[in-house]
Amino acid sequence: MLNELLNRDRMQHQKGVESWQEAIRVASGPLLKEHVIDEMYVDAMIQSVEDNGPYIVLKDYFALPHAAAGKGVYVPGMALLTLEDPVDLKGNPVKIFLVLAAIDSSTHLEALSQLSEQLMDDEVYEVFLSGDLDAIGNALKL
Amino acid sequence: MAYKFLAVCGFGVGSSMVLKMTLEKVARERGIEVEVETMDLSSAKGSGADAIFTSQELGDELKRSEKIPVFPVKRYMDKEEVGRAIDDFLATHEEV
Repeated sequence: MLNELLNRDRMQHQKGVESWQEAIRVASGPLLKEHVIDEMYVDAMIQSVEDNGPYIVLKDYFALPHAAAGKGVYVPGMALLTLEDPVDLKGNPVKIFLVLAAIDSSTHLEALSQLSEQLMDDEVYEVFLSGDLDAIGNALKL
Repeated sequence: MAYKFLAVCGFGVGSSMVLKMTLEKVARERGIEVEVETMDLSSAKGSGADAIFTSQELGDELKRSEKIPVFPVKRYMDKEEVGRAIDDFLATHEEV
């Protein structure tokens, strides 16, 4: 279930960031603090974009940073960062960073599928773009 | 008859499932029947399907080893882009 992976304590909003790397680090903050992931996983997410390109940008303004399951991940988790000013991610402006931390290939799939369903709904997606965490939490029933 | 698609990603942690959901949604909107399976790169090779949908980078690799047509998609959740990929596939296949 989505609410087992993502909750209000793991959602942040801020005006802007210097770089997409900083965005991934800031977004990961709550997961680091709760020992859901360690620094190694954060580095791996960033390295993976350096190596494989902007594959984490799944639609306009939305990125799903992730790396290999179980390496630097202790429990499945997600964290959200919304930005007022988009930051460039290798040619793509991004305002929404959703960090995905997986321990294997299946445990998190139901949550991810719930979330994808929501993000593909144009009205809900507008709420994400607004960056309003209360409204996003309500839309996701968190 | 439903078309059989493969959605392939590198890490196997879920991007392919996101792509599967988009493919199913777009196919429904176009009124065509599809069965989509998700796979990581290693298991995708040699499987029987009508088409493979994957990223640009993995697509280049799969095109070298696969006879099945490969359709690269940059943004897995972008309904318009995935729609264009399905249209490209349909252009090569008349409905059975």
